[in-house]
Amino acid sequence: MDPSPPDDERGILSDPRLQKLVEAILTLASGDLSARVEPSEAGDELDAVITGVNLLAEELHYVYIELEERVDERTAMLLRTQAELEQLAVTDVLTGLPNRSILSNIATRAAHETAVIMVDLDSFKEINDTLGHDTGDTVLVEVSRRLKSAVRGSDVVARLGGDEFAILIRDTTEQEAVQIARRALDALQENVSVGDVSVRATASMGVSVGPPDWPQRVRDADIAMYEAKSRGRNTIQIFRPDMLDATTERAKTAAELRTALQRDELELVYQPVVDLGSGHAVGVEALVRWNHPTRGVVMPGSFIPIAEDLGLIVDLGRSVLEQAIAQMGAWVDEAPDLPAFTVHVNLSATELRRPGLDRDIGSCLKTYGVHPSRLVLEITETVLMTRGSEEARMLGRLNDLGVSLQIDDFGTGYSSISYLRDLPAQTVKVDQSLISTIDSDPDQAQFVEAILHLISSAGLSAVVEGVETARQAELLRGMGCPYAQGFYFSRPVPPERVLEVLAGFSAARG
Amino acid sequence: MEPVEIPGGKGRLTLRPDGLLHLQWDERIVVEGADAKAAMAKVNELCQGTPHPMLVDMASTKATSREARAVFSIPCDANRIALLGSSPVDRLLANFFLGLHTPPCPTRFFTSRSEAMAWLVDSTDEGWTPGSGDMRRRGLS
Repeated sequence: MDPSPPDDERGILSDPRLQKLVEAILTLASGDLSARVEPSEAGDELDAVITGVNLLAEELHYVYIELEERVDERTAMLLRTQAELEQLAVTDVLTGLPNRSILSNIATRAAHETAVIMVDLDSFKEINDTLGHDTGDTVLVEVSRRLKSAVRGSDVVARLGGDEFAILIRDTTEQEAVQIARRALDALQENVSVGDVSVRATASMGVSVGPPDWPQRVRDADIAMYEAKSRGRNTIQIFRPDMLDATTERAKTAAELRTALQRDELELVYQPVVDLGSGHAVGVEALVRWNHPTRGVVMPGSFIPIAEDLGLIVDLGRSVLEQAIAQMGAWVDEAPDLPAFTVHVNLSATELRRPGLDRDIGSCLKTYGVHPSRLVLEITETVLMTRGSEEARMLGRLNDLGVSLQIDDFGTGYSSISYLRDLPAQTVKVDQSLISTIDSDPDQAQFVEAILHLISSAGLSAVVEGVETARQAELLRGMGCPYAQGFYFSRPVPPERVLEVLAGFSAARG
Repeated sequence: MEPVEIPGGKGRLTLRPDGLLHLQWDERIVVEGADAKAAMAKVNELCQGTPHPMLVDMASTKATSREARAVFSIPCDANRIALLGSSPVDRLLANFFLGLHTPPCPTRFFTSRSEAMAWLVDSTDEGWTPGSGDMRRRGLS
């Protein structure tokens, strides 16, 4: 029941509504915003105050609710952001894979036999250098997708950095780990398409299985991965303790190689390049050997990859070029009447990217009085992937010098004949792997003939390497192959025997 | 025309022959959100898209809920609204509405019916500004 309004004599102070109003305000002040006072039917000023307090309390209640909602919303947003930041800290931004740090955390929690597969792409640097970093990134994303598709849900694929990935397999056996590594290797066999470019993105993998000792698993898998690299890449190696010896050996070789360059222990031998039509030798290919003080002659396959890894390849290449040019100068002086022949020198991708290479070669030719036409630079086709690259421009400048260019190892990379036409090269060396069976396999012979025809159609001359039998030489001659080299004609010989060998070719074939 | 009842039974609406809408709330009622929506729907139904000025008889209304006040901020077919009350409580309720909300059309509080009617038909008076209230000048002093 509403209280009655006070009569004028008693005054407003004795009005019970006032007491109720005071109590309601005290309740509101204590934080209970539900307190209300029922106004009377009088509708007088005191009821207006009561109504006003009721309305203000109601508004305050809603303001609080809205404020709380906003605080909740903002808190949720902050928590989401924090979760995202935490995720970023443990995730590789490019691929979305876990990073090294989180993989290490996961691995250290493993309790049973654990396997680590270290995955390193085989030619990622070339992809980045020749096709650009965007293409490189696309390849990395695709590789990570394929690796994930090759493992089970319980395995962890992580990107450790650059082109290096790792797969962690918990509670496993060597057999199971190798199976997974094989699936991963298979998943990378198909080329990756980036726009209109098709890129080969195979990897070398090292597997280490053992107790859940993360640092050791990683070290061992890493060593096995390097072993896979040295065994021809695109392959899997399982860690064995003797690989540690190989790693030590490799480190020793690396140290010795530095001094070998200073002590001129790297020597050149020369293998003739023969004109199949006339039988004359038209040139010699310079091949480097390391005359090691205790190990004897070391073949380039054992030290060139180390030189590349150490960044010594530029110094090594410079030394080889100078030796070969100086030697050619000496031969010309010694046998001015011998028909002109060329010296072929291999040039690595790293050297090709070295600014000033063309100036150095020009100056060296001048120093030793060698005509530029006497020099042929052999460049592996894998470095010739893109038009307009720094390498392509360098090739143009070298060609302008008057030096000839030859594409090496044709048939092992990605070159297309139409692209070869655009290059400033004059000759193409067909890899020996293509001709090794031509004397026994008619289909292969037909295939090689087609390749030779294509090279010729592109306006280039072919040199086939690795000719070991008379039959192979005969077949190639019959196919119209202009040049060849290999043990059948001559093994590589030291410089002091070159003129004699070349003269022998001239004499024997008239 | 005859007054039509607002669904909910707390008031009636009439469209008078002179074109004025008259919304009459019953005494001692609390206008809730649903009542406000029903009233606005009736206004729109009677006007059929032609705006009319409206007199809202709110004398002795007990309270207007927060939701109802929000509903009254939505534009309807009334193009001018005079809130007619008598008590200090009416004044407070009207003031609260006009102070915290932006009315959809010129809206003023009156305590004099004749002044309210005069203002509603005086189309030249454009002195309204949203939230201005201005009830003292209009007879409530």
